Amino acid sequence: MTVTDRVEQVFIRPDGKEKVTGAGRYTADLNLTGQAHAAFRFADHPHARITRIDTATARAMPGVFAVITHVDVPEIRYGGMVSDRHLFAHDVVRWEGDVVAAVAARTPELARAAAAAIEVDYEVLDPLPDFVANAEPGAPLVHADWQSYGGSRSMGRDGNILGRSTIVKGDADAAMATADVVVRGTYRADASQGAPIEPRAVIAQWTGDKVTVWTSTQVPFAARDGVAHTLGIPQSAVRVIVPLLGGGFGSKCDFHFEGHIAALARAARRPVKLVFSRREEFIAPDHRREGMLIELETGVMRDGRIVARRGRLTLDGGAYCGEGGFFAQMAAMHACGPYVLENVNVESRLVYSTNQPSASVRAPTAPQTCWALEQHMDAIAAAIGLDGAELRRRTLIEAGAVGPAGQVFGEVGAKQALEAALELIGYDDYLRGELPDDEAIGIACGWWPSMASPSGAYVKLNGDGTGVIITGAQECGSGAVMGLPLLAAAELGMRPEDFTLHYQDTDSGPWDMGASGSQTTFNNGRAVIEAAREVRAQLLELASQQLEIDAAELELADGVVRAAGSPDVAVSIADLAGSGTPLLGKGSGELPENPPGETSSCVGVLGMETFLAPQLITHAARVKVDRQTGVVRVMEFAAAHDSGVILNRIGADGQVYGGVLMGIGQALSEATWFDEQGRQRNPGLLDYKLQTASDAPPIHIRWIEIDTPNAGPRGSKGVGEPPSVPTPGAIANGIAKVIGRPVHELPMTAERVWSVAVDSLGLEWIDTSGKDPSA
Amino acid sequence: MSGRTYTQAGSVADAVAAMAAGARPVAGGTDLVVGARHGKSPLPQAMVGIHRIPGLDSIEVDPNGAIRIGALVSHAAILDSPLLAEQAPGLLDASAIVGSHATRANGTLGGNVMNASPAMDTGAPLLCLGAQAVLTGSSGTRRLGLDELWISPGRTAASADELLEAIELPAPSGAGARGSAYVRLQYRRQMEIAVVGAAAVVRLSADGGRVADAAVAITAVTPVIVRVSAAEACLVGADLSGGGEELEAALQAAGRAAAWAATPISDVRASLGYRTQMVAVMTRRAAAAAIARARGQQVRVPASDWSVVR
Amino acid sequence: MSVSITVTVNGITYPLDVDPHASLLHTVRDQVGLTGAKEGCDDSECGACMMLVDGRPTNACSYLAVQADGARVITVEGLAEQDGAGERLSALQRAMLSRGGVQCGFCTPGMLISATALLERTPHPSEDEIRVALSGNLCRCTGYDGIVKAVAAVADGTA
Repeated sequence: MTVTDRVEQVFIRPDGKEKVTGAGRYTADLNLTGQAHAAFRFADHPHARITRIDTATARAMPGVFAVITHVDVPEIRYGGMVSDRHLFAHDVVRWEGDVVAAVAARTPELARAAAAAIEVDYEVLDPLPDFVANAEPGAPLVHADWQSYGGSRSMGRDGNILGRSTIVKGDADAAMATADVVVRGTYRADASQGAPIEPRAVIAQWTGDKVTVWTSTQVPFAARDGVAHTLGIPQSAVRVIVPLLGGGFGSKCDFHFEGHIAALARAARRPVKLVFSRREEFIAPDHRREGMLIELETGVMRDGRIVARRGRLTLDGGAYCGEGGFFAQMAAMHACGPYVLENVNVESRLVYSTNQPSASVRAPTAPQTCWALEQHMDAIAAAIGLDGAELRRRTLIEAGAVGPAGQVFGEVGAKQALEAALELIGYDDYLRGELPDDEAIGIACGWWPSMASPSGAYVKLNGDGTGVIITGAQECGSGAVMGLPLLAAAELGMRPEDFTLHYQDTDSGPWDMGASGSQTTFNNGRAVIEAAREVRAQLLELASQQLEIDAAELELADGVVRAAGSPDVAVSIADLAGSGTPLLGKGSGELPENPPGETSSCVGVLGMETFLAPQLITHAARVKVDRQTGVVRVMEFAAAHDSGVILNRIGADGQVYGGVLMGIGQALSEATWFDEQGRQRNPGLLDYKLQTASDAPPIHIRWIEIDTPNAGPRGSKGVGEPPSVPTPGAIANGIAKVIGRPVHELPMTAERVWSVAVDSLGLEWIDTSGKDPSA
Repeated sequence: MSGRTYTQAGSVADAVAAMAAGARPVAGGTDLVVGARHGKSPLPQAMVGIHRIPGLDSIEVDPNGAIRIGALVSHAAILDSPLLAEQAPGLLDASAIVGSHATRANGTLGGNVMNASPAMDTGAPLLCLGAQAVLTGSSGTRRLGLDELWISPGRTAASADELLEAIELPAPSGAGARGSAYVRLQYRRQMEIAVVGAAAVVRLSADGGRVADAAVAITAVTPVIVRVSAAEACLVGADLSGGGEELEAALQAAGRAAAWAATPISDVRASLGYRTQMVAVMTRRAAAAAIARARGQQVRVPASDWSVVR
Repeated sequence: MSVSITVTVNGITYPLDVDPHASLLHTVRDQVGLTGAKEGCDDSECGACMMLVDGRPTNACSYLAVQADGARVITVEGLAEQDGAGERLSALQRAMLSRGGVQCGFCTPGMLISATALLERTPHPSEDEIRVALSGNLCRCTGYDGIVKAVAAVADGTA
């Protein structure tokens, strides 16, 4: 398909009306007759050995229906790439959110009181929150039995090292020695959160041997499979239904609490409902963005040619693997970035700690790594006397470039995105000195792969010529599923509003990886098109019989099947659909393969070493820094993206607006801070600071719509995650220009910016340690 | 649920009677209920709603020129008052950045003051304006300066049966233009709690050539909000003529003096060291804005909004 | 002990018995049966629970139901007009959809209430006034862009 083949009109999402009237039901809005309410007893220490659990007092409380612990569920381990945890802590608790027990009671208040009444004795162990120290040989182990866990063999696990990946190209050591200039930098990023506005909720109800679970998940099939696995029952005995989902941003990926609540409902012999408080939403999910230590070293020639990149990345995996096992390799790719690097040696380690487990949050590992790399790129540019934009102009990938693991790129819009962002933000004016002293423009480039995954859909037509799309894909709010009618309608010559969507139900839709990886349009779009094409063939066959014209000479448009060139010779789709012949298509489409690479020197190869249909991004931020306080405001922002052909402009723009603002939060105000024990210090929205409407800058968007090899449906790629990738880096580079020195800690809080500015700007430091001169 | 009671007061006397019987007053609920949610202290067992008591929601000038702000006047009403915009813009600076527009619509000045939080935004400007609390209890009505009212974080000198009826701002004394301002350190423009704040009220000499009088108070860096006389002394007498060097030196000195007066803590919002230095910055800015206003220059409300193009 | 109150929600008057500590949010969701207002934080930080109480934008999670005795409450369910053909969306609701102001929708009910309160008080707000008024309503999806544009469109009559 070409760039002109796309939908330009404003598309109103099919779930829009129920969302603006308040009629739409989210999981917490549902109530079942006779339901009990759930509460968890979480670990009382971040790291401790359980010596006794006594639930008798809690069980005896009036209104308590059930109290369950590890003895009440099968002894089955689970986990994404490593099976390293149980539903309920067995012997050791490894972070403050480890679940020790669960209670079902008549009211939420009673459930919480009963959970608190469970007696748990511990032998307190030393917490191991320092993930960098945990990576050292001989460090105390978070999981003493790690070798006995089932898990992926290719992860390179070793003790506290949950995963180790390298990206190796050529001989970086030798090339580094030949470089004109070598630049080094060390960067630290704190953990952060997906922080959806909807705290999660789960309701489970058993009917006979089958459990139905309503849950706020991005990945209903993973949730279903997790319930079946941990309770030792067939997948056919678990049906997961997702009511409207109030955002996820990755944090509602993976199987979380559905198994606990299903087990609790079975024990309570009634439906059980769990609704998290905001505090629990921060502390309890084994799912947050990983803290990182990023060490980079680059050898560059005076003309900007990058001859060598060495890097060492250390990622905080937290207490359990979850679905974050691929992080080490993903981070290593982002330490390379979308640049031509002649030689590479990047090592990346994902390390256990007794902190909250890390797992996918919007573009996992990328914003932090890109933030470090893009500051490093500005440092390289400064070292050879080039403007940062010029260095990127010279080194960004283009068609024919060879990637860090040997991938040969096809057409990519990296350089176009750079130029577009510079134009949108007015970079030339800035270089001419037309901004006040306390403002500057920073730029950053980044990338993100398209993810191939099996997916499926059905399309059926009703007797009046309307249709239903039945899909296993999940909607998280992004609108990706909401846009599927556009694709079906285009295949069938119908209007998008002719279709309703049936999704959110694992018993009806085909398996899908869910609302993750920016891949719903890429994979499920392909499936919907394939299914619609089956219906198209059926319609053509029927019309061919009725019109007595060869199917090859017919076309579908405007709700009719008609003779090409003779629009009056036509039969309506409604008439064909009403004729009694079932019109039903199913599809998956052909799964694209990852591009080949050269990985013979790499370890921990997990499929991220080459990027299928990569999305290329440049962001530019005009920042204003209050140089006396370190408070930073982003005044204006430009985002240029090669995400292939844009199928639904309002939806794609929405991903950029939201993703950039989430990136601004990560850059300036959002972090989960742990105390020395590994407990969260700010599990609430007052001190975990999301950006507000009055903080949000105007954001200018440009889509670089070029034809891409291996693109998804109608030339599309993905749009959900890339907008978060280069945002912190662009802001960082702007801040550094204002205060004269970079800030190597993320988020770049006011205090951190000010701490750098105290030295770089020579701010006054009032020493109040002595005697008050006025006293 | 047993034992929890709620009554609705129709008059100050109703409220005082209920309070004498052990009930706690609730007005907008923005501090009390949120405080309970944060686990500060549970909601009281016995409560009396005071939000519908007539006559406590007006802003009036008494014959002596004092401004009487009823205890139930909301932050939104303060922002809407041309009188306060003219006489006490520093109070508007504070009310404009309390919570969100919902907090400002429901939250009352009286609730804010009686909550006695060292981080309350309205506290420092009120203290600098010489505000008095008008308390009515079983044994009558009395007036207390805010420095006497606030005892420690969350505690006031009011007895359990004393209801705050109003805050009174005394009439300005002395010739010369006045100006006031409140500035806080804020990481976001809205939805913040003060990490460091400072207020200043100044009166210029009759000819406008120098600072004749000054009040400075600091927020969120001492157990209760306090005036800083050493900072005030730095400002008094500052010559405003010429190139502004003397004013700048006075502002710097006032900032330093305020930093010395602060006894901040380190927590997740800021370190002790950063807070201390920011006391100086906020004090300088508040004093500069107050002086600018006194000289008739436009300073946007809220004065903390440094990044918004005017 | 519970307290008897009378609250008018979206024009319908409900006699209710409530615990003195019950929030207006839980009362409206559990007793009145309107779940449009959401609980996102329970401490006035996110705004998902916003209702109009006697015209004032109010975080219903932190407002005691007993204090709403005699009050007129408007929730998101009260914004559309009802006629024989069903619900007719208000200009603000339509603009939220056409400007991309709705994604996951969880903040939308509170956002609509905040915007309604703003427009009633300030029919022609500046963009900065819109942004300040909506700052108590956190949205994680939209970057606020479509929401601010929707409110501006209603204000200038182009919705």
